[in-house]
Amino acid sequence: MAKRVAIVGTGQTFHKSHRPDVNGQELINEAVQRALADANLTMKDINAILIGNMDHFEGINYVDCWSVDGSGGVMKPVIKITTGGTTGASLAVGGYHMVGSGMFEKVLIIGWEKNSESDTTGAITTAFDPIWDRQVFAGAISGLAAEAQAYMARYGASDRDAARVSVRDRKHAMNNPHAQLRKEISLEDVLASPMLADPIHLLDVCPRTDGACAVIMASEDTAEKICPNPDWIWGTGARHSYAYLGDCDWGRLTSMERVAKEIFKKAGIKEPRKELDVIEMYQPYSFAGLIWIEDMGIVGHGEGPQYVADGNTDMGGELPINPSGGVIACNPIGATGLIRCAEAAMQVMGKADARQVPDVNYAVSTGFGGCMWTDMLLHGKKKPN
Amino acid sequence: MTTKQKKGFEDSYVVEGKMALPYTYFAGSVGSKFITTVRDEKKIMGVRCPTCNLVYLPPRQVCDKDFTDIRDNWVDVGNSGTVTNFTVVRYDDKHMPRKAPFVLALIKMEGADTPFMHILEECKFEDVKIGMNVEAVFAKETTNTILDIDHFKPVAERASIQERNAGRKKWVADNENAVHGKQKGGKPDMSKPVIIAAALTGAATMRNQNPSVPYTPAEFATEAYKCWKAGAAMVHVHAREDNGMPTHDHERIRATYNAIKDKCPELIVNLSSAVGMGKTAEQRISQIIAVKPDMASLNTNTMNFSIVDRKTGKIFIEYVFENTFTMLQEFGKAMEENGVKPEIECYDMGGLDNTLLIAKQGFFSEPMNFNFVWGVAGGQAFRSDAFIAMMNAIPANANFTTCGVGTDQFPCIMQSCILGGHMRVGLEDNIKMPNGALAKGSYEQVEVAVNIADSLGRAVATTDEARAIMGLRKK
Ligand SMILES: [Zn+2]
Repeated sequence: MAKRVAIVGTGQTFHKSHRPDVNGQELINEAVQRALADANLTMKDINAILIGNMDHFEGINYVDCWSVDGSGGVMKPVIKITTGGTTGASLAVGGYHMVGSGMFEKVLIIGWEKNSESDTTGAITTAFDPIWDRQVFAGAISGLAAEAQAYMARYGASDRDAARVSVRDRKHAMNNPHAQLRKEISLEDVLASPMLADPIHLLDVCPRTDGACAVIMASEDTAEKICPNPDWIWGTGARHSYAYLGDCDWGRLTSMERVAKEIFKKAGIKEPRKELDVIEMYQPYSFAGLIWIEDMGIVGHGEGPQYVADGNTDMGGELPINPSGGVIACNPIGATGLIRCAEAAMQVMGKADARQVPDVNYAVSTGFGGCMWTDMLLHGKKKPN
Repeated sequence: MTTKQKKGFEDSYVVEGKMALPYTYFAGSVGSKFITTVRDEKKIMGVRCPTCNLVYLPPRQVCDKDFTDIRDNWVDVGNSGTVTNFTVVRYDDKHMPRKAPFVLALIKMEGADTPFMHILEECKFEDVKIGMNVEAVFAKETTNTILDIDHFKPVAERASIQERNAGRKKWVADNENAVHGKQKGGKPDMSKPVIIAAALTGAATMRNQNPSVPYTPAEFATEAYKCWKAGAAMVHVHAREDNGMPTHDHERIRATYNAIKDKCPELIVNLSSAVGMGKTAEQRISQIIAVKPDMASLNTNTMNFSIVDRKTGKIFIEYVFENTFTMLQEFGKAMEENGVKPEIECYDMGGLDNTLLIAKQGFFSEPMNFNFVWGVAGGQAFRSDAFIAMMNAIPANANFTTCGVGTDQFPCIMQSCILGGHMRVGLEDNIKMPNGALAKGSYEQVEVAVNIADSLGRAVATTDEARAIMGLRKK
């Protein structure tokens, strides 16, 4: 890679289930203005824009065209990336590649969604093969339920183990003014909430959210001049895992395992559980908080429930996960992956306020979606070698 | 059209619309073939990768693992499979394939390696399990999509023999002097339940011929239990050493016998008094006296007992199986004195006549139980008319069963079942199934015997009924 890359500023909207007061351009603009202010830059400093959201999640497509009013993209290169749930994380990976290539000095990355305007399941259904999968597809929750069932059958976990993850993330969200759901819940609340698709309860899953996030990346040539302690990107990765719904190893997230191995190896991280300081995981439902930390290599297969139950991933624990409250507290889908990246960057830069984990040297952010697809970024305080 | 915004945002105008875009979508050349095969032949086809051997369903053009072009390697994956994963969808959404609640399942077809998503119906939610067997129900009208398979439903599990037997009237001997197997006018009497026995090993069938041959006591117990579950009332046992050699060691034979009885207390165990090649008369009978099984084989004539290539006639192993009149008499007496019922093995009519001669001494308890053995190299091959001659030669109240070596196995038991006799199967006699595939174990041949009984409308004997029919001691 020609240039080392750092995040020098981030901005988020205050995410809500419905933002009747703004349209797409206005929502995008809120995040962009905050990111520019955070980096102390102006639109003139930006060399290119990456933007993305979910297809058909709003009443309008082709955000790269019409968003320039809000994004500031007039007479600049604008590229759209949309990869389903991973959109926000793919935007971050794409921004890293653009800056790292040495061809763009400063890149503005925007993920957004005004999910309140859409028919979510209808929109997601258009992503599935009309012959094989669309006819029998029953929404994103049913697919995740299949994963949870498989994990429970293989490792004997329960819905109570998973509920612990929801309780944790909702508690963490209390520290994050940007999160949508800021009300603590108990294990009993989760288990008593309606069953959507066995074994997933309503409070096990993420909400629908309106919101936007913007991140500014700069190369090593200017990063430290813009920001005294930038968030250095140590590595990024992406893995796809299936052609059809039935192909993947249900109960394991193979894409997470592969991408984590690749990135940790590259960075020389041998014991992620000890060497990482915080994780912002794209975890759209509670069971993922058990299963995917195993696939990431934090704990062994089947050990996730105990590790979480013992408080290791709570604020103040061995390895806090989702200090922001994560996806279970807030999910503007096209922005969600980028929010993970921004939150991880804030942790490294020491800007996370009430949700700050002390002394963060390494942070991980992830994206999930598409075809059981995983994106991952490793963030660090030190400049990579 | 505009709609009202919520309070405080009355002047924020919202346009309401609907995107309904007509489209066409080509299923692809691979997908089209799948759909037309389902539609026209009601057959589900996948594609096999010649590089890694995975069979993909849905079919596709290249292997996910190695990018091998697989689009032309079609294989029939069968119309049934197992549920590898499922969920009960309990929320409604207009885009759902069914109204909630319904079961969405990942189903791995019998011949495929990748499961595919479909809908499971015709079963209660609480009965859905990972591993359950399901079969495709095809749509009445084609839509040219995967919904040409309308849904999957559970494969009707046949009630176990034990359940079936519990649901019918128990057989009791209504006429002590009934003539075996025949009613007036020479018509076969199939009113008695048929006893199915499984000969688990013999002395010569080895694991290199069929990996399911049991050697250790624990393996015998497992095999015996599977046979009992499948419908056998009796197992016939030649104990083996760990290396597979037949043994006359009392402790090993007792351990094998006890392991079977521990696992399956009601099952009748019949021990061999032949044991294996080259055993002395003392070695052969002392173990029967020591272990005192329910039943034991009693061999009726000295004969060649060889292994010969059936195609070329070439002799591989030459051996004289010694069963003198004295041995027949002494073994028979020893068994009867120890409460062990002899199963009288007749390899030809001569052996049967030997037995009838000796029987005049009067030490055989009634009823006598004969086994007509076919296809031993040294004995007679199976012939229908020879079978009938032997059946007609045994005493009127005696029972008969039969077993056949190799391809004689299934024809001879079928004839026995028709004539009111009993059936023995098992890897001792034959390592294969009727279609020539290796049997997964003796239990699979027991299933064939059960099917024969079912086809003829004969009940399969419980162990209690088998004891009553053959006159064995109470368990
Ligand atoms: Zn292959």
